[in-house]
Amino acid sequence: MLNKKKVSPYLYIIPAFIVIGLIIVYPIMYTFYISFTNMNIYHWFDFEITGLSNYSKALFVFDLGFIKALLITIIWTIVNMVLQLVIAYLIANLLNNKLLKRGKNIYKMLLMVPWAIPGYVSILLWKNGIFNVQFGLLNQWLNTLGFQSVQWLNQPVVAFTSMTVLNLWLALPFMIMIMDGALQSIDRSYYEVAQIEGASKFEQSRYITIPLIKSVIGPAVVITAFTTFKQFDIVYLLTLQPASRTGAGIHTIITYAYENAFITSNYGYSSAISIIIFIMLVSFTLLTSNDFRRKKHE
Amino acid sequence: MSKKNKEILIKILIHGFFILFAFITLIPILYAVSVSFNGSNSIVSSDFSFIPKNLTFNNYLKVFKEEPLLTWASNTLILAIVTLLVSLSVGIPAAYAFSRKRFKGSKSLQKSLILLNAFPSILSMFAIWYLMSGPIPLVNTHIGLILIYSGTMGIFTIINLKGYFDTIPVALEEAARIDGANEFQIVLKILLPLSRPAIIVTGMMIVIFVWNEYIFSSTFMTGEENYTLAGGLYGLQAGEMSGSWPVFAAASIIISIPVLIIFLKVQKYMTSGLTVGGVKE
Repeated sequence: MLNKKKVSPYLYIIPAFIVIGLIIVYPIMYTFYISFTNMNIYHWFDFEITGLSNYSKALFVFDLGFIKALLITIIWTIVNMVLQLVIAYLIANLLNNKLLKRGKNIYKMLLMVPWAIPGYVSILLWKNGIFNVQFGLLNQWLNTLGFQSVQWLNQPVVAFTSMTVLNLWLALPFMIMIMDGALQSIDRSYYEVAQIEGASKFEQSRYITIPLIKSVIGPAVVITAFTTFKQFDIVYLLTLQPASRTGAGIHTIITYAYENAFITSNYGYSSAISIIIFIMLVSFTLLTSNDFRRKKHE
Repeated sequence: MSKKNKEILIKILIHGFFILFAFITLIPILYAVSVSFNGSNSIVSSDFSFIPKNLTFNNYLKVFKEEPLLTWASNTLILAIVTLLVSLSVGIPAAYAFSRKRFKGSKSLQKSLILLNAFPSILSMFAIWYLMSGPIPLVNTHIGLILIYSGTMGIFTIINLKGYFDTIPVALEEAARIDGANEFQIVLKILLPLSRPAIIVTGMMIVIFVWNEYIFSSTFMTGEENYTLAGGLYGLQAGEMSGSWPVFAAASIIISIPVLIIFLKVQKYMTSGLTVGGVKE
């Protein structure tokens, strides 16, 4: 009876850790192992340990494209995060405008719709419905207005812009909702005082709203930054599908790792890329979580 | 008086902005819906409108007749349900232990879960594929996919539910313990009912995850009869081009509707469930 009362805590976590260990940790360790070999389509079974050569290739041979993909990913993350935060902030402020009493909930609901549709479905609908060169909506409109069709997904800059627009479409609903919630948490009396003191709208934003919502939206912003940095679906589905590659030449680090494993079959090299990305993600995670803990104690 | 006029003008401007903005946001969806109901071939001509000119359900019928959509749907459901059961049954006890018990390694294990959660499983996809085509062949089996999904969702379940369990006061459990309830009864009769909203949200997220996952299911499964909905839809658009676009639009809409419904349901739970607590201290 006494024995039964005290079940070892480890018994509770063992099943979960068997599953996670086998299916998550073991493949990561195996990836780590492959990253030190020359495993590829020609060396499927008889691959050899080649030390750090895959890592040095990734980091020092610029032509192979990893550094370029990393730079694109960083630019992608910055551009998207800045646009998302600015647009979501403006829209959430408009939604909370005193004059907009009726209709707020309807607008909010309509703006949330893109969030509720499976991401890959949305991306494929955009690819075929909006960006398609022959019958996409954008080119239909351009042609009606008498302009030439544009290849939305073929040149790097145009494709990057198209992807950014699509990413905003997918990600803004979440950010607007977070901002909206944060704005509602602010005590109205701050603004009343500010108005009496004669502060302009810009000053109110600068000195009241933004400092106050910072801590509320912080975690959501960090999570979104991670998601943006790990972008795969948009880039892959729009431009890299084997049956319909557009040659835009845009890679995020994740599509780059995927391509080297499943298209060009450089398994060793691709695994090294995966491990480099993993190390980056782990350091970011540790950095941001420490940051939050420090902020809480302040 | 002029201040009032100004307010009315601003009001009209804001409403105008939101009506326009909402419309622009919804264009891709409205367009897909319109195309899916369109009978004529007007998608290639320029006289396009958002209201289909020849209303037809043919594209929807084609999805069911020419594509094995029902097979894909049942594959997806099987995967989703088994993944849900596995993730919850390994995740709930672990989340409970992390939330309620002190033991050596608890903190570092939780930390490593958060780090593993940051790792996109697509990066180890090749290793998984290589290992699963080894001595125990799991490539092209449902069990293989279920294991992959359960691993990812197991971590998610533990992190999510542990956070929620932490918000439930232990007072009730202590009271039950004094009344002679054993641990199993406490979890089953007190903790789980109180965590209903969180468990439902977590469960829905798991189902949506499996429903939406296309890259593993299209890489690991071969043969149309083995596809999930996501894998099937992915194959549908990759295979043919302009000819099947209306059919593809119809299939997309069919596949999106359940997720849309689940999403709206979860949202309701998220707001009501998190405020209606069990005990308030």
